Amino acid sequence: MKALALDLAASLARFLERLGGLARFALSLLWQSPGALLRPRLVVEQVYNTGALSLVIIMTCGLFVGMVLGLQGHDLLQRFGSEEALGTGAALSLLRELGPVVTALLFAGRAGTALASELGLMRATDQISAMEIMAVDPMRRVVVPRFLGGVIAMPLLTAVFIAVALFGVQLVGVQLLGVDQGQFWSQMRGAVELGDVREGLVKGFVFGVACSLIAVFEGYNAQPTAEGVGRATTRTVVNSAVVTLVLDYMLTAIML
Amino acid sequence: MNQTFPAAGGAAPPADSDYVAVLRGVDYAVGGKAVFRGLDIGLRRGRVTAIMGPSGTGKTTLLRLVTGQLRADAGEVLVEGRDVARLDRRDLYAMRRRMGMLFQNGALLTDLDVFENVAFPLREHARLPERLVRAIVLTKLHAVGLRGAAKLMPQELSGGMGRRVALARAIVMDPELLLYDEPFAGLDPISMGVVLRLIRSLNDALGISSVVVTHDVREVSQIADESYILSGGRVVASGTPAELREHPSPVVHQFMDGLADGPVSFHYPAPDYRAQLLGRSESA
Repeated sequence: MKALALDLAASLARFLERLGGLARFALSLLWQSPGALLRPRLVVEQVYNTGALSLVIIMTCGLFVGMVLGLQGHDLLQRFGSEEALGTGAALSLLRELGPVVTALLFAGRAGTALASELGLMRATDQISAMEIMAVDPMRRVVVPRFLGGVIAMPLLTAVFIAVALFGVQLVGVQLLGVDQGQFWSQMRGAVELGDVREGLVKGFVFGVACSLIAVFEGYNAQPTAEGVGRATTRTVVNSAVVTLVLDYMLTAIML
Repeated sequence: MNQTFPAAGGAAPPADSDYVAVLRGVDYAVGGKAVFRGLDIGLRRGRVTAIMGPSGTGKTTLLRLVTGQLRADAGEVLVEGRDVARLDRRDLYAMRRRMGMLFQNGALLTDLDVFENVAFPLREHARLPERLVRAIVLTKLHAVGLRGAAKLMPQELSGGMGRRVALARAIVMDPELLLYDEPFAGLDPISMGVVLRLIRSLNDALGISSVVVTHDVREVSQIADESYILSGGRVVASGTPAELREHPSPVVHQFMDGLADGPVSFHYPAPDYRAQLLGRSESA
């Protein structure tokens, strides 16, 4: 029993130590971010790497999530004789929940792991040390542009995901299952408010900050071995997913 | 300066200004295990200094102390007369701009081609016209014989070529001190000969100081002006390569002649071999 308590205390101490390290790392990133914006080319490159290169997976998943939502939503609403509300229900659920959350999970799996493994390998192959010896601050030159690239890309990817998913809902609901097209769009336009769009984009931005921060933190602080890089990549996905869902609950509670 | 390290060649101790870097009474430990205990080394200006010793004696750690990547637990690490441990970030970076370092694996930036790798320090530190950057980079690449490889990516280079590109990058800012970490490791004889000649010719042509960390005794003896041999956390011998070959110390003799038996044990401490094979040892 005593051993268990000691183990728990040690685990808690390690967790708090890591949390403190993350907080210091985040402050350093924020401090250096304005300076990095003076070299927009580096940030734009990373928006391309994390955003544009994630488009295919985001659009593909968005389409199928939308199609499933169309099938399930139609089945549910049919029981109440209100299939025309499919557009409204799908738009609200996509804008307020599904869009930002699923995009963040996909972002962590595609762009987050790429960021973490790239930075981890740079450390393992002495590229980070080489920059330090060349009097180039790796935080400013490598980490901050990648972080900002992810932060900028995430809300954009969220918007693309929602747009494609709505197309998927329409494809199944209207084209396949025969929901009236006019009712579908007009009800959606009448029910969706600017606040719903804002909620989706705010969540996309916050999840982008969280997932990008976790990815660059884990990658930059990875043990310089093959195993260390692998662990950093795994931690990036797991921690991003957990943090995204926790933040989602908190943001929903605040914004509702 | 209170000289504690031996002057090569038995000459009178040189003056402060003769040294580009000095480590005096340096202690350094990792995880409670001492790497250096009272280490004294002086790196003379304009010379090629070889730092040799068996694996695990802290040769690379020594370079990291000189560059300020690591801080000594005790003692002083002076570069151009300034204590590295007392430099703030700005001054440390200013000091590093006057250094170049060749990493064991080259450490080329894998997302940039050869040209951009060499141009990297220039683009980061100097706002030069593109034509001038191009001219400087091509000059440095020509010096290492790789002007024709400017458009190749690091993944397309052999180990020796990668090392030479890294060397071009290390000299692109015209450093005053060039540090080489195991520059011959894993090279074929031709590449090794090329790198060997490059180290000597760059040192003489550019008027810089060079420190070569290696355990390739024969190779480095061809170009080193003076050498230090480390063992057990301190300098066990120093002098010109010729002096070291005649050195009476059994450690130096074992190291210079590559002998398995001697004061430096080949085997890591272990229980009795026979007992362990027969399963009589606890740590089997």
